[in-house]
Amino acid sequence: MIRKLSFGQYKFRKSLMHKLSPHLKIIYVIILSILVFAVRDLPGILFFSVFILIMVALAKLDFKDLARNMQPFYSIFIFILLMYIIFSPAQLKQGFIAIWRFLMLIIISLLLTFTTAISNIAAAIEKLSKPLKIFNINPRNLAIMISITIRFVPVMFINLEKLKEAMLARLANFKKLKYIKLIMLVLLGRMFKSASSLSDAMHSRMYNENAESRKMMKLGKYDYMSIVIVALLVLVIY
Amino acid sequence: MIEIKDLYFKYYEKFILRNINLKIKERSFTAIIGANGSGKTTLAKHINALLLPTKGSVIVDGTNTKKDEISARKKVGFVFQNFEDQIVYSTVEEDIAFGLENLELKNNEMVRIVEEMLSKLNIKNLAKSNVNMLSSGQKQLVALAGVLAMGPEYLVLDEPTTMLDAKNKKNIIKIMRDLNEKEGISIILVTNILDDLGYANHVVVLKNGSVIFNDKKSKLSKRMLREAGLDD
Repeated sequence: MIRKLSFGQYKFRKSLMHKLSPHLKIIYVIILSILVFAVRDLPGILFFSVFILIMVALAKLDFKDLARNMQPFYSIFIFILLMYIIFSPAQLKQGFIAIWRFLMLIIISLLLTFTTAISNIAAAIEKLSKPLKIFNINPRNLAIMISITIRFVPVMFINLEKLKEAMLARLANFKKLKYIKLIMLVLLGRMFKSASSLSDAMHSRMYNENAESRKMMKLGKYDYMSIVIVALLVLVIY
Repeated sequence: MIEIKDLYFKYYEKFILRNINLKIKERSFTAIIGANGSGKTTLAKHINALLLPTKGSVIVDGTNTKKDEISARKKVGFVFQNFEDQIVYSTVEEDIAFGLENLELKNNEMVRIVEEMLSKLNIKNLAKSNVNMLSSGQKQLVALAGVLAMGPEYLVLDEPTTMLDAKNKKNIIKIMRDLNEKEGISIILVTNILDDLGYANHVVVLKNGSVIFNDKKSKLSKRMLREAGLDD
């Protein structure tokens, strides 16, 4: 269960990736996620994969840990592959590329969440989403929503596991749709209850949607270096 | 002082609280006890202005919660029974700073207060830890630190020992006593565990949403506890 608790959660390290500005990291996640879809051939795939693996190494993240975090997605990879094998065997190569893209997207997002404290992600999102104010979207609300989502993903996994064990102990059979529907409904109910408690707790700690994050985020030399590297990557891939 | 006057609270056509009249003095240690469903948490939420009275009033240091919820919340901190749901951010130091962000404090001031809280509750070693990896006792301390960081004059703790083992239970009770005796924070302890009453000097007993006892702890009798469904 402890393994699931660390899913996508910040890991404190003294690394280059940890030092980068959260604003830039969020922008890089967007750029890299777009670039993944621009890569279409084997040399491009290899080049991009090596780049991402170097980023993982620079973040001083454990590759085994990363692989463990991928486990929930393995079934989706197999599902995608099976779909290609059954419905489009001639385009199996495309299936592998689709899985690779999916894998890269997960690693890119994990790189952000592993190396950036949630409050920094929230502060960066808050600053980056300021233009959304013209659409009446409050940047702090948006940032807090994202932070809470990241915080509660592992809690949801724990609840799911506890619930599953409790149901199995009373002979539930998860091969039947009835039980899957039931576990989802109960889980949803519990998450709504948690959300309601959290909302109370935030009110009691005087949640202020107009408070701006006080975090000062100045760009350092590593940030400027990273801008050059990502710009070069974009040029090479396009 | 917190004054609760003729408080009624209705939820879905049912009165959860009826005719509550209480005074909670500064620097006091008050325990609100009662069986499950007696309305303890509902009453506690009124003190923090999370709930507002259907009838009557809750006045915190002269401010009616109906007129100014924010002032009441600044004065009254609230530690929830399920502290897991109280923690907003993923790391300990970030979560302690959450309330301070809302108070719009400057960054260096926030850092100073967070460090002070970490030292005070002896959790400095957990500053960078992921809250999901902490034990129940540690999470309880993080939740408490987050509330104390905001400098409340009154502190409501809703069944703080229910989810803790004996060692952590002792620790949290000692912290409550220190906060009350050394720092002068008024403690309002909501509980149905009689062992937790140790340091309380005033006890309020609730039964079916009404106060059936409101006096010094020394005057609390076994008969009263039996009537409240807290003793066999």
